[in-house]
Amino acid sequence: MPQANGGPTRRDVVKAASATGAASIASIAGCLGGGGGGGSEDYPALGNYPVEGDTVMLGFNVPQSGPYSSEGKDELRAYKLAVKHLNNGGGWVDGWSDLSADGVLGKTVDYVTGDTATDADTARQSARRMIQRDNVQMVSGGSSSAVAIAVQELCQQEKVMFMACLTHSNDTTGKNCVRYGFREMFNAYMTGQALAPVVTEEYGDDLEFYQLYADYSWGKTQQASMKKFFEEAGWSEVDSVPTPLGTKDYQSYLSEARNSGADAIFLNHYGLDGANSLGGAIDMGLDEDMEIVMPLYNRPMAQAAGGAIEGIYGTVAWDAQIDNEPSNSFTKAFGDEYSGRVPSGPAQLAYAQTLQWAAAAERAGTFYPPEIIKQLEGRSYNNLGMGKETMRKCDHQAQRAVPVVKGLPGSEQGSGQFFDLVNLTSRSELGYGCDEGPAGECELGSYE
Amino acid sequence: MSLVSQVATVLINGLQQGAIYVLVAIGLSIILGTLKFVNFAHGALYLIGTYVGLFITLEVQLTGGKLMEWGYTELGLGWGFLPALIIVPAVVFVVGIVMERFVARPFYDRPDTDQILLTFGLAIVVQELFKILFGGQSYNFARPAWASGPVSVPVIGSFPQWRLYVLGITAVLVAGVYLLIEYTDFGLVVRAGTRDAEMVQLLGIKITRPYLMVFGVGAALAGVAGVVGGPLYAVNPNIGTEVLVPAFLVVVIGGVGSITGAVIGGILIGETLAILVAVAPQWSQVGIYVLAAVVLLARPQGLLGVEEVTP
Repeated sequence: MPQANGGPTRRDVVKAASATGAASIASIAGCLGGGGGGGSEDYPALGNYPVEGDTVMLGFNVPQSGPYSSEGKDELRAYKLAVKHLNNGGGWVDGWSDLSADGVLGKTVDYVTGDTATDADTARQSARRMIQRDNVQMVSGGSSSAVAIAVQELCQQEKVMFMACLTHSNDTTGKNCVRYGFREMFNAYMTGQALAPVVTEEYGDDLEFYQLYADYSWGKTQQASMKKFFEEAGWSEVDSVPTPLGTKDYQSYLSEARNSGADAIFLNHYGLDGANSLGGAIDMGLDEDMEIVMPLYNRPMAQAAGGAIEGIYGTVAWDAQIDNEPSNSFTKAFGDEYSGRVPSGPAQLAYAQTLQWAAAAERAGTFYPPEIIKQLEGRSYNNLGMGKETMRKCDHQAQRAVPVVKGLPGSEQGSGQFFDLVNLTSRSELGYGCDEGPAGECELGSYE
Repeated sequence: MSLVSQVATVLINGLQQGAIYVLVAIGLSIILGTLKFVNFAHGALYLIGTYVGLFITLEVQLTGGKLMEWGYTELGLGWGFLPALIIVPAVVFVVGIVMERFVARPFYDRPDTDQILLTFGLAIVVQELFKILFGGQSYNFARPAWASGPVSVPVIGSFPQWRLYVLGITAVLVAGVYLLIEYTDFGLVVRAGTRDAEMVQLLGIKITRPYLMVFGVGAALAGVAGVVGGPLYAVNPNIGTEVLVPAFLVVVIGGVGSITGAVIGGILIGETLAILVAVAPQWSQVGIYVLAAVVLLARPQGLLGVEEVTP
C-alpha cells in the first residue's frame, strides 16, 4: 500500500494513544466498579449517556411514506424482530456469544419509530425528536443516502450512535463520514467494482453506455462509480442525465436515451423510481435496442416492476438465496415471525445493524458511545451471512462481499424470490485503501 | 435517428403524458367551474379508480396491509382490462354522487378555505384507508396482454403500445364529454352554471340534479384516468396526491370550467415536461410551474377561462 499520505499521521498516533488510554482507564474503572450495566459511574455524561432506568431506547427512523416506503416497511419488521430477539432470544442472538437474550447490559430494549418520508429535513426532525424526547442511545435507519447523511451528521453533533441501514452513496462513509456512524451496506463504488467484470463479460468489452441517475447524493456517486469502473473495463459513457427523485414517468428520459444510440443503459434509480423507470424501459422495448443494467436492486422494487426485471443485472444488499448458516437462520426467524415472508436485503441490514450495536455495547460493558465505537472499529466478523467482513477503522465502511444478481422472469418470480444469484463477489476482489476512493475524503471527527 | 423523428418522439411523449392530466383535470375543472367547489379530494377518486381497476383486471398477490393480515393473500377478479374500463367509471360515478350529496353540498356556500380543508382532509383519509387495507407498498398493474410491449410507429420508431391506447381512450372520452357539455340540455345548464349559477337558479332551473350529475361525471372521468394511467406507473396509495397538483396546474393554465382549456392545458404541461427533458432535464419539474405562473400573469383567468361574473 502506498504510504505517502496513507500511513499513520501524528494525529492518528495521538488519537490511538488517547484511545488506548481511555480503554485502559475504562477497564480499570470496570474492575473497580464491577462493570455496572449502565456504567454511569465510569464515564462522563455524553449525548444521551448514561441510560436512566431499566430500559434502553433505540430509534428506528425509516421511510414509512415517499418513494422508498416499501423498503422502510420491511426494515421496520426487521428492527422489531431484532428488539424481540435481543430481549427474549431467538434468531442470531442465540448464536452470538456477546449477546445474552436478556436485553442489552441487563436493560430491556425498547424502541421508537419515525417516518423520514424519504426526505432529509423530515428525517432530521424525526431523529432529533428521538434523541431529545425519547433519549435513544442509537439511531438506525435509511433507504435514502441523503437522509442517512443528514441523520448521521445530527447524530455526530448529538453524540448518539448511528448504525446506517440502507444507504449506498459513496459519500456516507466518504466525504460525509462521521465518527458516530457505521455502515454495513456496501457503496456505489463497490457496486461498480462487482458489476463491471460480470456485465462486460456478458455483453462484451467495447460498448457505449448511457446513464440516467436519481438527482441526489446517491444517484450522483452511483453514476460516477459506474462511469469509473465501466470505462476502466473498456466501455465509454455517451451521456448521463439526472432525473428528479420521485419522477413517475420516465418515458421522455428513456426516449432520449434511445436516441443517443448507446448500446447499454444504466438506470441508477431505486425504490419506486426504479420500478417506474425499468417498467417504462421494458414497455417501450428498450431492451430490444439496448442492454439494461439496474446497478442497485432490491426486492420491493422488483416486486413493483414485475417481469420487467427479467435478465437484467444488478447488485442487492443481501438475498435470502445466499446459503449459509446466518443467512438461513435470519430467513427462518423472519419467516416465522411474519407468516412465511421472505426478508429483503434492507431487512437483513436493519436486523444486522441493531445486533451489531447491541453486541458492541455488551463487549464494551457500557453504553458510553466512544467505547462502543471502539468495539466496532477495525472489528472482523463472519456472522452476518456475507462471509468474512471487516468494519474498517479509517472510514467505518464494512469491507464485504457484494451479491451480483440477474432478474428472474415474471413466471418464475414468487414467494419472495425475484433474482438469480449470479456471483457473490468476494471482498478480496473489491474495496479500496484508506487513502483512495471515497475513504480518501473521509475525516471521522471526534470521539467525544 | 433523424431530427424529425426525435422531435416527433418528444411531441408524442408530451401528448401522452398530458393525456392523463387532461382526464383528471376535466372533472376538476367542470366541478370547480359549475359548482364553485374546490375539490382537493379529486385525486382520491383517481386513486379509487386505479385500485378498483387493478383488482378487476388482475388477481393480485397482496404483499401488505390489513386485508393480507386477515387472510386475503390474493385479491382480484382477473377479468381483464376491458371490464375494468366499464365498471370503474360506474363505481366512481356512484362514489362521486355520494360525495356530492354528503360532503360537497353542505359546503357550497362556505368559503373556499373550508372546502379545501374538508376535501384535503378527505383525500388524506382515503389515502390512509388504502394504506391500511392494501399496505403502503407498490403493486404492479400489468398492461393488458394485447397492448403490452412496443409497437412500430411511422417516423417515431418503436413506441410503447399501451401509451397509444391511452392517447386513443383519452381522445374518445374527451370528445364524449365535449359533446355532452356542448350539445345537450344538461350541458347547457352546466355551461350556464359556469357563467352565472345564480342566474340559472333565478331562471327556475332546479340546479341540484345537474350538480349531482356534474360531480358524478367528473368523478367518473378521474376514475377512468386511474384505470388508464394505472399500468403506466407502479400503483401505491400516494398516486392520488401526485396526480392532483399537475391537474390543478392544467386547470389554472386552461381556465376554470373549460373543457377545451383543460385539453390545451394538459397538452401544454405534457409537452413542456417532454421538451425540457430533452433539452434541460433538471428544469423539467420547475418548467411546469413557470408555465403556470406566466399564464397567470398574462391571463389570470387561464387561456380559455371566462372572467367571473361578480355579483
